[in-house]
Amino acid sequence: MANLGNLFMGVALVAAFISIAALVWGRKLGAKEGEGLTNIGYLATYGVLAGVTASIAILTAAFFSEDFTFEYVAQHHSTDVSALAWLYKFAGVWAGREGSLLFWAWLLTMFAAYIAYKRMSITDELSNMSLAVLNFVQIFFLVALFIPLNNPFKLSPESWVGPGGELLIRGGMNPLLQHWAMTLHPPTLFIGYAGLAVPFAFAIGALIVNDSSKLWVEIVDRITVFSWLMLGIGIGLGSVWAYVVLGWGGYWAWDPVENASLLPWLTGVGLLHSFTVYKRRGGFKKWAVMMAVVSFVFVLLGTFITRSGVVQSVHAFQQDELSFWWFLAMMVGSLFAGLYGIVVRGESFKGADEFDSLTSKESSYYFNNVLMLVAAVVVAALTLSPAVGGKTYGPATFDAIARPVGILYVFIMAVCPLLMWRKTDGTLFWSKIKWPLLAAGVITAALAYLWWTMLWPIHLFTNPYANPLTSVTHTWEALIAFAVGALAVTVASSLFIVGARKRAEAKGEGFFGSLFHIITRARTQSGGYLTHLGMGIIIIGLVGSSMFVKDVRVSIDGQPGAEFEVGGFTFVFQGVEEQTLPNQDQVTRLNFDIYRDGQLTGTATPGQVQYSRQDQTRLDVSVIVEPLRDIFVVFEGTDQAGQIQMNVKINPLISWVWFGFAVTILGTGIAMWPRRQLPASA
Amino acid sequence: MNKRARMRLIGVTAIIAISVVAIVVGVGAGDGSYSRSVSEVVDDAGAVGERVRVTGTVVPGSWDKKSSPMRFDIRDEGASEGPQIAVVYHGGVPSTFGDEVTAIITGVVNTNGVLESEDMITKCPSKYESATGALTIADLLAEGEGVIGKSVRVTGYVANGSILPPGGAVRFVIADEGGSPSVDVFYDGALPEGMVDGSQVVLGGLLDEQGVFDAVNVSLSDTEQ
Repeated sequence: MANLGNLFMGVALVAAFISIAALVWGRKLGAKEGEGLTNIGYLATYGVLAGVTASIAILTAAFFSEDFTFEYVAQHHSTDVSALAWLYKFAGVWAGREGSLLFWAWLLTMFAAYIAYKRMSITDELSNMSLAVLNFVQIFFLVALFIPLNNPFKLSPESWVGPGGELLIRGGMNPLLQHWAMTLHPPTLFIGYAGLAVPFAFAIGALIVNDSSKLWVEIVDRITVFSWLMLGIGIGLGSVWAYVVLGWGGYWAWDPVENASLLPWLTGVGLLHSFTVYKRRGGFKKWAVMMAVVSFVFVLLGTFITRSGVVQSVHAFQQDELSFWWFLAMMVGSLFAGLYGIVVRGESFKGADEFDSLTSKESSYYFNNVLMLVAAVVVAALTLSPAVGGKTYGPATFDAIARPVGILYVFIMAVCPLLMWRKTDGTLFWSKIKWPLLAAGVITAALAYLWWTMLWPIHLFTNPYANPLTSVTHTWEALIAFAVGALAVTVASSLFIVGARKRAEAKGEGFFGSLFHIITRARTQSGGYLTHLGMGIIIIGLVGSSMFVKDVRVSIDGQPGAEFEVGGFTFVFQGVEEQTLPNQDQVTRLNFDIYRDGQLTGTATPGQVQYSRQDQTRLDVSVIVEPLRDIFVVFEGTDQAGQIQMNVKINPLISWVWFGFAVTILGTGIAMWPRRQLPASA
Repeated sequence: MNKRARMRLIGVTAIIAISVVAIVVGVGAGDGSYSRSVSEVVDDAGAVGERVRVTGTVVPGSWDKKSSPMRFDIRDEGASEGPQIAVVYHGGVPSTFGDEVTAIITGVVNTNGVLESEDMITKCPSKYESATGALTIADLLAEGEGVIGKSVRVTGYVANGSILPPGGAVRFVIADEGGSPSVDVFYDGALPEGMVDGSQVVLGGLLDEQGVFDAVNVSLSDTEQ
């Protein structure tokens, strides 16, 4: 069966070559004469889809039948026996280096086939060439899959599998990955990665056919929003997973691979906003091409970092020289193709950009792009620094850049919708912003009170001599971040209120009817505003949960009745439950009753799971969620003297991050909801 | 295009770029750290006060999870002797921490040569081990009764077809080059990935009275790499 998997990948590879050859040759012959060939190019794209789909189906079937003659299945099969066991069988497909690459290639074929399906009746030159570029990218992935270390269809050594097909070695999916968020995090992230190949392909396609009209942007803009959304959801789910599974109480550690997923997301923001200017004003043409190319190169960088072993990371797979050069060549090639194209087609891609004033809407879009690009390049440089003999940078450096850039960015994001094209009229601007500004002032005052009563004391707990007036980061950055976050929320809210009121007056409708109409009809705009609103909430949550975490370690007697106190809660130990699951995993769970002011308010059950087949321990964290803070309770183990080691963290405002994240997803989801019709040829 | 607006735009862009670079240089100087091996830090007197990122193996028995802050020693990765650095670690101890674990520790070397750190990442123990200093099976058996129950390191080759599932009295058989003498091995842990018939392995453990070797850890010899 495993050989059949390789065979189908080979079929897909041949189909991809045929598709490119047919599309390029068909173009040479011209629209009329080449039509037959061009059609073959489209059909061959379905051949690629069929081949890769067959391969991934074989791998999935091997996971469900636990066919340990597949080395990849032996190493990544789930040992879970819970109700989610079937889900982890699917997750096995993308749990390791080899399968995740195949999964990615498969998603890429889906996107290519979707484009082929949508454009087949039109077969315009732009779509033909862009489809060829997509299949060209596909070839790179398929060839990479035949590099031994990346190949998911390797056979297990004979000594691994017994006569009855049972596995003789210990192996299996990393238990840290056996979690619901982990079954969704990789696929969403990979959908985002694969989807960003589409704007790249059309950017290159537009350069090839020298068509700087907005056609390519209109074809890809929804796919781009969708991909960016999936990337965001993937990053968010990864953070949720890190928070509840890894047991260190945080959700973002500036690990190289986390950074790698953030980079295309950052430049993706620039790409989406460039598309807006491109479509509405005919400007930012080179920006759009450049951001499409750079986003795709950053997508490749993520793969490069995880597979080449250039940087030490918790996510990294085994080092492989062949993959190193292959993915490096892919990145350099993509970047070069984009830059070369921009230079050669410089004249026709000169946009109708008008920078009449620094406070115009154009300027705010421009600074949006600059900030995102600078942030992405700096994060990439810091991440890759140790790979070229430089320093390794910790969270302190990344935070020091992320905070001011983030604040400035959210500020621009907040006011941008109130600015006007070409030149902003001061009086008009003031009339639009005065109420949101006042509301933001009120919210900021409330948050400042919260800072003084809840956050600053936590900072004092770890830094007893800190002075509130001279602390640049923990006073001024925190308060300014609160203020711009509040402004983003109030401005976005006011846009909905003002818009709905205006429409209600003009049409004689009710206020809520108008609001509903605005949200469901003007989707790109209202979805964008909602996304801005969510980002405002996120930055407020980030201040609390990343800058003011209280971290307490205690050890208590292993006897029921033992207690400790953290953050106003008293934890009273009730006892231990120990259980051996059918798969020999050992589950330990501690029961605590929680009292506040003498009243029983709930229970916490932190624990640990000792995974038998993988020989690994996982912490099961207990989290008490409150609107203003989480109490994060970890059982770290029992020492030789029988003392129970507990780690308790107080994470202020962390729920705000998750809530803002949900609002952002909702907003982006509204913005990407498809139009009824796709654009025809220009 | 308005020329003045354009100049301003470029000016602001330059200010943003310069500020970001200034932050990187300013904060990065205090935070960034160069990667160093244990022996490099020990040999370099100038390393005192410098922020470094040291990769090393945790010396067995040198640590006590209870003490706060935790103290332990590390030596160069893969080495079984040689220079050591004492580490004082002021953070949460990763659950994978333990003897022979590879730890990547970021911190500052103080004037006593102690590495003060708040940042540690652990990697899983390497599955490869050097066979240098390990007994052959013939050496082990030649030691006679005196070696029974004592902790030893032995090396040998996995006998063909001898690897069995965990749970039984014998997990696999190892033999000297040429196939004899051989000894049965009891082991219930995870076998290293890539261990197959004929692999050279390095075992830690003890020979029991029945002549079965009770292995505590099983690694592939680094010649298998």
